[in-house]
Amino acid sequence: MTVEQLAAAIAADARRSDVETDSTTRNQLAADALRDAQACLERAPQAAACLYYHAIALGLRARAHPLQANEALKSMLEALGAAEAADPEFDQAGPARVKALVLVKAPAWPLGPGDAEAGLMSARHAVALRPQYPPNVLALAEALAKTGDTHGALEAFRHAQELSQALPPSRDREDWLREAEQMLGRGSPAH
Amino acid sequence: MSTLTLAAITTLVFCAPGYPGGSGDAQPFVDQFAKAAAASAGWKSNSLGAIYDPSEQGGLAKLGDKDSALAFVPYAFYVQHAAALHLVPLVQADVVGVGTQERWTLVGKAGGAVTSASSMTGYTILSVAGYAPEFVKHSALAAWVLPADVKIESTGQILSGLRRVASGEPVVALLDQTQAAGLSTLPFAAQIKTLTQSAALPVAVIAVVDARLSEPRAKALQTALIKMNSANAETLASLRLKGFVLPQLPDDVRKP
Repeated sequence: MTVEQLAAAIAADARRSDVETDSTTRNQLAADALRDAQACLERAPQAAACLYYHAIALGLRARAHPLQANEALKSMLEALGAAEAADPEFDQAGPARVKALVLVKAPAWPLGPGDAEAGLMSARHAVALRPQYPPNVLALAEALAKTGDTHGALEAFRHAQELSQALPPSRDREDWLREAEQMLGRGSPAH
Repeated sequence: MSTLTLAAITTLVFCAPGYPGGSGDAQPFVDQFAKAAAASAGWKSNSLGAIYDPSEQGGLAKLGDKDSALAFVPYAFYVQHAAALHLVPLVQADVVGVGTQERWTLVGKAGGAVTSASSMTGYTILSVAGYAPEFVKHSALAAWVLPADVKIESTGQILSGLRRVASGEPVVALLDQTQAAGLSTLPFAAQIKTLTQSAALPVAVIAVVDARLSEPRAKALQTALIKMNSANAETLASLRLKGFVLPQLPDDVRKP
């Protein structure tokens, strides 16, 4: 398999894992993704695609094994840092966007690597690189909510909604719209 | 589900304000715990249900339900709400990496203005337990009489709070034992100093709510929970627990 094929396979595993509720299946998806990530790194150890999808695979492992999640999340952040150094614009500023989400959602110090302020900085970086990509704006909205800026978060969710509405119909567009609308429906994002 | 079946269910409400974990993440683990506890007590498998709420207000609302006979809460929550909710402690949790008791540590800026309780005028205390001012003032800082204008704020982002302490803002931070132990890992640790430390206090308790569990059932459950220690290690570990011991609470909590 080529680097592109391996990356696509991991992306597909991640999409399935997002909607999978069975823990055994999640375990298998994480194992498959990690195997493909290792194969990708063996072919092209410095490629942003391999570093980035290795991070995504580590995220799947963290989700499948919550008791060992901290180590996987720390490794995930390291891999994202390497991917960002290789190509910060890969996957529409994916390294900074995913790093932001990990830092915002992971258990915070001292229990885990979560750091809402660092997450906010990373989300701002992703938006600066690709301001028109709705997931970057959604990540910024989540980071603003987590750091207590409710007004800023609502503004960002509204902006993400507008950006998504301007795109042609697709499954991704519907997912981004749903996420923005759910948060706007709540009125005050949780933090 | 019939009315009779519903009536037989006792609900255990888990509530840990300020600590990580959303309801969706934690619910499978508290469900598993309830099943194991019921089995240990020899109760029907569906007779004990569990529900998790990460917020103080959400937890209080759930504890207001008449089926909510048991509360699993941090000691800070217990101190704050024991009187109003008529909580009677059943067992005390033995938490992985902490134990059955912990000391809370008040920290301020190294070389800063705060050197005693009286020098805290105009300051704000940031803490994961800030939602429980009774606990902060009368348990964690019982020996540190605070000036009247000191504010107490709840935060789930204690790292941000510590950055504010280190930067010299008029704030101090009250840390639980895990947070205090992690201080040395911070890049700005040298800018933080310990001001005072509490006596050893319970970490978390399971309590009967408003006598909604009969005494014989409460006693049976107490025995069963203590018995869980060795037989249910994996279930307990998923909630960062090692087991339970009989409650040994300080005397300063207002009685129901």
